[in-house]
Amino acid sequence: MKKNYKARNKTIPLLTTVSPVAVWLILLVAAPLLYVLFLSFLSTDGYNVVFRFTFDNYKNLINPTYMEIYANSFLIAFFTTLICILAGYPFAYHMALAGKKKKAVMMVMLMVPFWTNSLIRLNGWKTILGKTGFVNTLLLNLEMIHEPVEILYTRGAVLLGMVYTLIPYMILPLFASIDKLDRSLLEASNDLGANKVKTFLHVTLPLTFAGIFSGSIMIFIPSLGYFFVSDIMGGGKSQLIGNLIETQFKAANNWPLGASLSMMLIFLILIMVTVYKKSGGNMEDLGVM
Amino acid sequence: MKRGKVILLTAVAAVLLSGLAACGGTQKNGTLNLFIWTEYIPDSVIEGFEKETGIDVQMQTFSSNEEMLAKVQGSNPGAYDIVVPSDYMVENMISQDILLEMDESQLTNLGNLDPAYLNPSYDPESKYSIPYMGGAGVIVYNKNMVEEGADFTDYDELFKTVYNNSMVVLDDFRSIVGITALSMGYDFNETDETKLGEVKEKMLTLKPNIKSFDSDSPKTLMITEETAVGLMWSGEAALALSENENLDIAFPEKGMYLFLDNLCITKDAKNADNAYKFIDYVLKAEVNKEISTEFPYLNPNSAGVALMEDAYKNNKAIVIPPEEIAKGYYVKNIGKTVDLYSEIWAEFTK
Repeated sequence: MKKNYKARNKTIPLLTTVSPVAVWLILLVAAPLLYVLFLSFLSTDGYNVVFRFTFDNYKNLINPTYMEIYANSFLIAFFTTLICILAGYPFAYHMALAGKKKKAVMMVMLMVPFWTNSLIRLNGWKTILGKTGFVNTLLLNLEMIHEPVEILYTRGAVLLGMVYTLIPYMILPLFASIDKLDRSLLEASNDLGANKVKTFLHVTLPLTFAGIFSGSIMIFIPSLGYFFVSDIMGGGKSQLIGNLIETQFKAANNWPLGASLSMMLIFLILIMVTVYKKSGGNMEDLGVM
Repeated sequence: MKRGKVILLTAVAAVLLSGLAACGGTQKNGTLNLFIWTEYIPDSVIEGFEKETGIDVQMQTFSSNEEMLAKVQGSNPGAYDIVVPSDYMVENMISQDILLEMDESQLTNLGNLDPAYLNPSYDPESKYSIPYMGGAGVIVYNKNMVEEGADFTDYDELFKTVYNNSMVVLDDFRSIVGITALSMGYDFNETDETKLGEVKEKMLTLKPNIKSFDSDSPKTLMITEETAVGLMWSGEAALALSENENLDIAFPEKGMYLFLDNLCITKDAKNADNAYKFIDYVLKAEVNKEISTEFPYLNPNSAGVALMEDAYKNNKAIVIPPEEIAKGYYVKNIGKTVDLYSEIWAEFTK
């Protein structure tokens, strides 16, 4: 009797504190994902989903046209990630080492654009980069060019849109990992005769690798799926995996195929994280995301 | 400040009173549950109907055909009296036995509709659907940016190499596959695999001409002269033409891509009599004029159009000649062939 009472004493607080989060995660994360997994094994009759089990949706993923779309998508995602690292690292580094006031200003600069919807900001780029836009008008008036340059609706424009939309997701984890860096290690490196470049390459960079990796995951994966960037900046001409998924759900009414494409993306993330873990990465460090 | 407050108070009082009046109406003549697209019917029309008939209108809105279907299927039978599906969805709902076969004798104003919009492919005898509003896929071009003598009533004009990287088209695979098939003398809803193979080859010659796929606001690219030619819905075309006087419009001779939304009564409607009354009210010329003034889409009600001002009637993108409409095509359910379409589309847009 006494024992039972004790157990309940522990269970009730545990249930009340953990269950809301658990219910939330089960209902809004686990259940939808399981639904997508389930959906990916069903068929369609051309319009409606039919409850007939099949592996066809996964077989259909290996299609030469789709392969080219994956390749194009990976290329854009790779360069987006690379540019974000190259541009984001110096910014994050300076932000981490800056004084309190400067740090706050930099943070505000980073966060304020976030308050405006990204679709609106991307459409803003259209006005700047268009044939009759600001950039072309300026260059024409300076007589640096004689005919408007095609900037918008190219792959370069898609890349610009991706970097612009996603770079904060690189800077924030980088900032967190550089900020955590033990400064005495840098001093030690200096005392032992390493110059600044050597210190950076052999101390700072390896210690902030978790930040780079976590930022890369947070950019690489969405840039495979951000179909609206390709639609707005690229005029929908260079399809990404995201556009392919969107078409299956919104136009072709082939939800099962769309679901199998989504599952492919999820597996990809799992593989990337596993590789990170196997190569000695600490999962706790990824928590900075 | 003070005056502002008084006005506000009066307004609040007026709203409360009219609310009470509406409640009074409920008990007298019953209700009507209307399920319609967002921003598709003016409040004044609803109020006018309530005033004339004493029927209380409960309006709910949706923003896609699929959403509408899911809600109708998921609710108690008869939860909605009137629904407003588009062409292909009418076909789908008829096949699922959701719509009521209408009694035409209850609709005294049916004669106001232009016959070009009746008996469409998705409802061959117009038994289940009454056309409400729609649009047509027209071609807009910039007179200064295309060669003299360019003839856009011919779809083949679009495929010419002179238009390299200078077109904006609908971001919709049924439209591009459809018009390419039409240009080759095939059907807009072609299902023959070999013919679709040829269609794909021809589409690939169109690709270099396309600067952007845009269904949301293609008018912007035409107004700013970013593109010389555009395939877009007539509603967008009307706005583009009013903003840039270099633009003109063409109706392709082989037939346009059409969409049409329809007033339908559900089979289990609890207030079918009221639904008939509402549809008949909307078909009235004066009421229709009210709707067109607020929402200038393609309007099948020729009696209503006749009452409009000249500026509206003379706008070629709004009042499209009925013979052009009669030649047009609606999207049809093509079964599993849709997978082939989406593969063609993936190859086309990769």
